[in-house]
Amino acid sequence: MNATAITVTEHRIEWDRPDRGRVGMFSLIGAESAIFTIFVVAYLFYIGKSLTGPTPKDVLSVPVFYTICLLSSSLTIHLAAKSLRRGSVGTFGAWWFATIALGATFLYGTATEWHRLIYQEGLTISTNLFGTTYYSLVGLHGFHVIVGLLALSIVMTFFLMGKVKSEHAERVDVLSLYWHFVDAVWVVVFTVVYVLGR
Amino acid sequence: MSTDAIALPGTGLASRPIVVRLHEWVTTVDHKRLGILYIIYALVFLLIAGIEAIVIRIQLIRPHNDFVSPQVFNRMFTMHGTTMIFFVVMPVLFGFANYLLPLMIGARDMAFPRLNAFSFWMTAFGGLLLYFSLVGANGLYGAGNAPDVGWFAYAPLTSQTFSLGHSTDFWILGILVSGFGSIGVAINIVSTVICMRCPGMTLAKMPLFAWLNFVMAGLVILAVSPLTAAQIMLLVDRYLGGHFFDTQAGGSAVMWMHFFWIFGHPEVYVLVLPAFAFVSEIVPVFSRKPIFGYSVMVGATVAIGFISMSVWAHHMFTVGMGANANTFFVLSTMAIAVPTGIKIFNWLATMWGGKIDFKTPMLFCIAFLFQFLVAGLTGVMLGTAPFNWHLGNSYFVVAHFHYVIVGGILFALFGAFYYWFPKMSGKMYNETLGKLHFWLFFIGFHLTFDFMHIPGLLGMPRRIYTYEPGRGWDTWNLIVTIGVFFQAAGILVFLGNFIWSYFRGESVGSDPWDAWTLEWSTNSPPPVYNFATIPEVKSRRPLWDLKHPDDPD
Amino acid sequence: MGSEILRPPGHDRSPSTIELPAPTAWPIVSAFGLTLVFAGLVTSASVSILGAILAIAGCVGWFREVLPHEKHESVQVEERVPVVATSRPEVTQVRWMTEELHRARLPLEIYPISAGIKGGLAGSVAMAVLAVMYGIISGHGVWYPINLLSAGFFPARTTVEQIAAFHWDALIIATIIHLLCSVLVGLLYGVALPMFPRHPVLLGGAIAPVLWSGLLHSILDAINPVLNQRIDWLWFVLSQIGFGVVAGIVVSRQTRVHTWQSLPLGVRAGIEVSGRVHQDNEDGH
Repeated sequence: MNATAITVTEHRIEWDRPDRGRVGMFSLIGAESAIFTIFVVAYLFYIGKSLTGPTPKDVLSVPVFYTICLLSSSLTIHLAAKSLRRGSVGTFGAWWFATIALGATFLYGTATEWHRLIYQEGLTISTNLFGTTYYSLVGLHGFHVIVGLLALSIVMTFFLMGKVKSEHAERVDVLSLYWHFVDAVWVVVFTVVYVLGR
Repeated sequence: MSTDAIALPGTGLASRPIVVRLHEWVTTVDHKRLGILYIIYALVFLLIAGIEAIVIRIQLIRPHNDFVSPQVFNRMFTMHGTTMIFFVVMPVLFGFANYLLPLMIGARDMAFPRLNAFSFWMTAFGGLLLYFSLVGANGLYGAGNAPDVGWFAYAPLTSQTFSLGHSTDFWILGILVSGFGSIGVAINIVSTVICMRCPGMTLAKMPLFAWLNFVMAGLVILAVSPLTAAQIMLLVDRYLGGHFFDTQAGGSAVMWMHFFWIFGHPEVYVLVLPAFAFVSEIVPVFSRKPIFGYSVMVGATVAIGFISMSVWAHHMFTVGMGANANTFFVLSTMAIAVPTGIKIFNWLATMWGGKIDFKTPMLFCIAFLFQFLVAGLTGVMLGTAPFNWHLGNSYFVVAHFHYVIVGGILFALFGAFYYWFPKMSGKMYNETLGKLHFWLFFIGFHLTFDFMHIPGLLGMPRRIYTYEPGRGWDTWNLIVTIGVFFQAAGILVFLGNFIWSYFRGESVGSDPWDAWTLEWSTNSPPPVYNFATIPEVKSRRPLWDLKHPDDPD
Repeated sequence: MGSEILRPPGHDRSPSTIELPAPTAWPIVSAFGLTLVFAGLVTSASVSILGAILAIAGCVGWFREVLPHEKHESVQVEERVPVVATSRPEVTQVRWMTEELHRARLPLEIYPISAGIKGGLAGSVAMAVLAVMYGIISGHGVWYPINLLSAGFFPARTTVEQIAAFHWDALIIATIIHLLCSVLVGLLYGVALPMFPRHPVLLGGAIAPVLWSGLLHSILDAINPVLNQRIDWLWFVLSQIGFGVVAGIVVSRQTRVHTWQSLPLGVRAGIEVSGRVHQDNEDGH
């Protein structure tokens, strides 16, 4: 009955389990979604409850161009991961760089919008309830974009050092999941802030 | 290295210098060492929070007592609740999950060993940050040190106006930091259960322990994150002048309640599901029968996980949410009693007709069954909105949730300590001292928490500093406080037993209980790699199959 | 079949060394750094800056541990591998429903559902007889206890004369309440009686009715206040015991049936298959 004294039989159990990086990333996305849900619920609940101005209608303008930038970066990162899986590392680098550029453009858009709101419209996080919820929700999303860009840049650095190979496709895939999530959250934030909230 | 001179002579274990061993523990990524770190860390905080409980009870032992000042009393109950939930029960459960999960599913480590270490240290530093408030929070305001806003910290008490100084900030930050650790460990548990099972162990063949901890980790991911979000909002309010919970600017104090209890109620199930997991492993082994209704147990667990996300506002019946919301939360609260009841019946059916061996772990599990039943029944009472309007925020509520956490979770936890101590240490505990611990704690528990219901029914509100004589509360409070000292004595016996047994106890083999799950097939304590060869399993009880080759499951 | 349960996955015996993740200090450094970043909010900005530096250093160090390849250390495998054995090799075996011996899984036998229904109905007759006897002996007549049982539905009838008179609607409702409760309690008896190890008649006939009466005593005011005002508790307990004894006797005289849940699917489906005992592992419990 000794575990190791048993003779090995011919057939082995077929055993296939999901990749742990992917499962871990999905769990992280679950946790992040819960955090965003609370902020979105707070935003929706507090729409129109500010006692003083400015109101969203007065100051918010819809950032169509920057939204297109961010959403199309989902496409470019998908193409990047796909070309890495196929083994064309050069194409991967090009698409990857495009993703970072699009993400950075989006961040620039948020920065200019905030600059305008603070210095021209006089809306800060403590001005009224709208300011509190707006800056926290958009800021939380912006923070995730920054984290995503940092991670993307690290991969870019490795690419420039020539260390990214097609065997890293799985890891790159997992990272791209995070970026897709950041983009998907923006769809929700955009809807809540710029469509429902105005 | 010249650290050899620091080696402790004569302990028998100090074959290597203590600095080297300490360094090994600090830099470890081994799930077993991290599990033990979690457990020891939690036991230290158990002593601290237990002392806080004793201070609270001494203050309430008789009317017009002034053992501590009202300010200190507020800090005591805040720190007691916060510490017990976030820095005792959660870490100790994470510790057991960490230690046992890979062993039970036949893996060599968790899915993310470094994240595991990171999560532990976040939890640990979070607790230290909270307790640093005792020396660090006085500030210029002279506004007191430790947090005193209660463990659920309702707005607007937490606003800058009412909570001067940094004590509330310490509360927020301590929990925020440890919350990141909790989410990290939960992600790890989910990934481990899904991706690290040994060949042949399909989801339907996992030990129930793995299933329950899997659902628990899912709940942590979905429930602790909202708390993190709410804490961030509170920080925005306090540091950046935000208005989330500022009613003067249109904000809502009730939103904080919702956000807190969206975390707070699933949290109860985060704590109790691992307790169920212990009982589901211990009861079959000491009844010599397989668990009754495995698939129903799994289904009930998943059902509890889902329903627990929709019951939070039964903590808020007295707020005035309106008839529709009240009705919904009454019904969902009643609904969650059903899968919980199914579990109790399944454990009873597992014991029924079995050859029950009344060792200490089993004693604790049997007590758990009946005490958790009572706790569930008072829970159904409190889940009824009209009843809740009478007894909300009374000592009846305090008695109810202590019945859940002490009578349910802590008893199951003690059972787990006795059951797995031989595996973790390689030594057998002292059975007589174990039984002494059980009876001391059992008597103390019932003295304290049975009789605590009565002053609650007689109208004694929770969190009061002292009370007038002649309201019929005096004798009950005296009995309640007396019970605390029995419990304290029980805890000391428990700690003494384990410390003594660790150094002087009898060595045990790999499988002292004649059990059926994989952790008992490796050495006690297990080698760092757990299994020399990764096992392959064919049933839910791989060791049964090995022990009864002609009659496998 | 059992001998291949736990076996090495590879072709050769256990390896002499095993690769495990190498210990690293970077997680604790980054955790400490991150905590200090937050601690800076309650102390001073310099603490946050120090924390940020530590956290970044920790992250960089951590990345260097896992990128491009995870660092491992080799651990020597001990020769000593424990023997898996049991002190209880004996397993109780039974032989029914199948040709071969197989493990006995409790419970072996239970009462069928019909036993509970029969017991409940028999008990309901006994209880009704006792209740009507009470009506006659107390001098209010046979309709008095029946009206009392349904009194919760007719709050307008409050005087003794009204309650003692015949009402067909009260009779229907009382009959429904009586039969429903009796059948439900009978079913409970059918489930519970085999589980009582000793004295099923004492437990089912006396103790359970008394407990049940005690429960009703505490809540009757809420569910049927008229009955609560006029109830004669001695007679009430007596009729409950009458129900318990009769239902218990009837239930326990029924034939028990074998439980099937541990049997192989082939047997349960009634298919003639040889050598089928150990095929169905999934349904073992």
